[in-house]
Amino acid sequence: MHSTIIRSPRALAPVRRGFVRRNLPYLLIAPSVIMLLALIAYPLLFALKSSFYFWNLQVGPEPMAFVGLDNYVQAINAFDFRAALTNTLILSVLGTAIEFGLGLAIALVLLKTLPGMNVVRALLILPTTIAPIVVGFLFRYLYDPGGGLLTWVLQSLWLPVPAEGILGSPSTALAAILFVDIWQWTPFFAIVLYASLLAVPDEIIEAARLDRASAWTILMRIKLPLIRRTAIIIVMLRFMQIFNTFDTVLVLTRGGPGTTTRTLGYSLYEQGLVNFNVGLVSAMTWITVLIVNVIVALYVFFAFRNEEW
Amino acid sequence: MTFDIGNMSRRNMLKSASVATLLASGVGSLVAPRDAGAQDTNTVRVLSVEDPFFFSMKAMIPEFEKETGIKVELESLSYDALQTRLVSAFVAKTSDADVIAVDQMWLGQYLDNGWIISLNDFIAKDSDIDLSDFIPEVLYSSNMWRGQIGTLPVAAYAQGVMYRKDIFDNFGIAAPPTKASEDWTWTKYVETLKSLEGKSFDGKPLFPTVICGSQPSPITHMFTQLSVSHGANWFKSFPGAPWDFSPQLTAPAWAKSVEIYRQLYKLSPPEAINYVWFDAGTRFAKGDIGMFYWWTPYFYLVKNSGYMTGKKSDVMDKYATAALPKADGVAQTVSLGGWSLGVPSSSERQDNGYAFIKWATSKVTQKKMAQWPDLNYQFSDFARVSLYEDDEVKAIYPYLDVQYAMMKQGNGKITRPPVPGYTAVESVLGLTLNQLLTGSEDPKTALERTNSLFESILKGNLMIPYQKESFADTLDGANALIGTLGKA
Repeated sequence: MHSTIIRSPRALAPVRRGFVRRNLPYLLIAPSVIMLLALIAYPLLFALKSSFYFWNLQVGPEPMAFVGLDNYVQAINAFDFRAALTNTLILSVLGTAIEFGLGLAIALVLLKTLPGMNVVRALLILPTTIAPIVVGFLFRYLYDPGGGLLTWVLQSLWLPVPAEGILGSPSTALAAILFVDIWQWTPFFAIVLYASLLAVPDEIIEAARLDRASAWTILMRIKLPLIRRTAIIIVMLRFMQIFNTFDTVLVLTRGGPGTTTRTLGYSLYEQGLVNFNVGLVSAMTWITVLIVNVIVALYVFFAFRNEEW
Repeated sequence: MTFDIGNMSRRNMLKSASVATLLASGVGSLVAPRDAGAQDTNTVRVLSVEDPFFFSMKAMIPEFEKETGIKVELESLSYDALQTRLVSAFVAKTSDADVIAVDQMWLGQYLDNGWIISLNDFIAKDSDIDLSDFIPEVLYSSNMWRGQIGTLPVAAYAQGVMYRKDIFDNFGIAAPPTKASEDWTWTKYVETLKSLEGKSFDGKPLFPTVICGSQPSPITHMFTQLSVSHGANWFKSFPGAPWDFSPQLTAPAWAKSVEIYRQLYKLSPPEAINYVWFDAGTRFAKGDIGMFYWWTPYFYLVKNSGYMTGKKSDVMDKYATAALPKADGVAQTVSLGGWSLGVPSSSERQDNGYAFIKWATSKVTQKKMAQWPDLNYQFSDFARVSLYEDDEVKAIYPYLDVQYAMMKQGNGKITRPPVPGYTAVESVLGLTLNQLLTGSEDPKTALERTNSLFESILKGNLMIPYQKESFADTLDGANALIGTLGKA
């Protein structure tokens, strides 16, 4: 025999309060999750679906045929895609490593109490505040073979400058783009690492000095381990940013000469916003996303394998 | 179910966040244009590229507003930004403009996709547009697609030669002819340039010529004038019907043209490998180039030191123009291109749009644009025959006879076929040409490889075999359409 218990509205209130209390964390993050799904998951799934279709806006406004993996095969077999991947990896790895090294060196100098250091700190951040496309135009003039400042400096130092110009030679063009990135983003490393180094307790450094530890030992055994987490995160961020390099390539070389400065970002731009091949660019996007994720996942695994984060 | 925030794995949470961020970075966002429908019906929104015609057209707009009472909202963008903005808006079916600037290459795509409307009906009902005053070769090349006039030309470009009179006189070199002739060939052109090799003038070393080397579009624009002069075709059958887009880059005319273009590069400043349109064009204005060929807007742009600066160049009174050379035994074809104006199908003010186009492309407005004195008179890209015969305009732009003769030999549909999928094959050709300038690869081998890439791209784009209906797109057909619409 069943009995029905009828609760008064007053009696229901604790039930509702209990539901809210139990699910509060979900309710709090729900807006973020909805935004993520709408702005990230949906476009990605849309791109995934598009990557299996022939859809070129130059040929027709709608997807025209299911082509399976054809777009992926076409993307991988295009020789400029492979060149773009190689160039992108070179830029990302070298750029991140050099910017980190230089940034750390600058951060250590900034710790010194030298005259004018406040002005230096303020000026240092300036390059990172300039839009990359503007930086591209700036360096286009600096690299100009007919009197650009950087060309003149190299010639004054008796260093060889190619007749085609720094941006016109296959042997120097990629390095020139790397240099632009280093110029603009090394200060980012410097400022962030400087802030982290400021947080290292003076007592520890002082104690190490009393134990007659060298500056090198203090750096390697105390300072770097204490700023390790920050360093790992900003290295990851910069790697991902450089992986998407596009603006400076567009302005400086348009991927040339040949394919020597073509990057994945530039290839995506060309296929998507010049050739309007939605299917192909969707496949290229997914290949790029997978490559970046594999690299970052491996990086995160090795960087944080001994700790909870 | 409970959710213990204290035990939540930060590792998992950060991993998810980083993955999500990475994924987001791989996907571009579409531009969200303004809604035209929400605006006043007595306005017209014009979206233009910032080519030279834009500046003089902008200066004339108060006159249009006064004449019609229609307020103009004019916006300009760079070439790449305009194309991106337009296509993004069309895909989203929310174009924010009533008039758009359309490059010659985009017309087929825009009309086939229904992104712009045909102007046939507007023109047929219009008794004073004077269609017969337009150069038929220009309308055919830039404005017609499948028997429809999709746009009207606001700035028409051909290609021609510019050379330094003083340098030629100094070295006793005969001036190139102002009219096409059987003697004025590409072989003669290269020989003339070679006679300037190693020379200095006014204490500065000379470069005999300058070329455009940047990929993909700039180098293709310049190279294809050379190739079409030699009789090269991109496809087996286009624009004549039936359309067959089997690529023809293995034909001898392509390899021959590459050889000549390489010679021209060797006679140019080495940094020309990275030159885009205006880099090559305005390099001549610096004073150390003997002769070059390029789009006809440079007939006036070289008067400025720099692109649209208004600052007089060193060569302002020292250069002259000449006819484009031809190849031995091949009838000349001149590359035609330029900008036209069209009305998006999404516009709710199509009448206003047409009124603006009619005004901007009219003889009266084009003449006023030509007579606008700022920037050292920077507009002579006429598509109307009457302006090439106008003495007042000719007094400002003395080279108009040469330019008109080039226009009359023009066929933009053969030089750079405005077919669906064009930019995809252009990017491959531009890359190959750029590589051939700096490398030592045999042109024949490189072009065979490019031909097979073309074939693969065109098959991938469902262009081989062509699956839609062909159209017999000939100049005669264009003339017939002009006659029909003009008489209506």
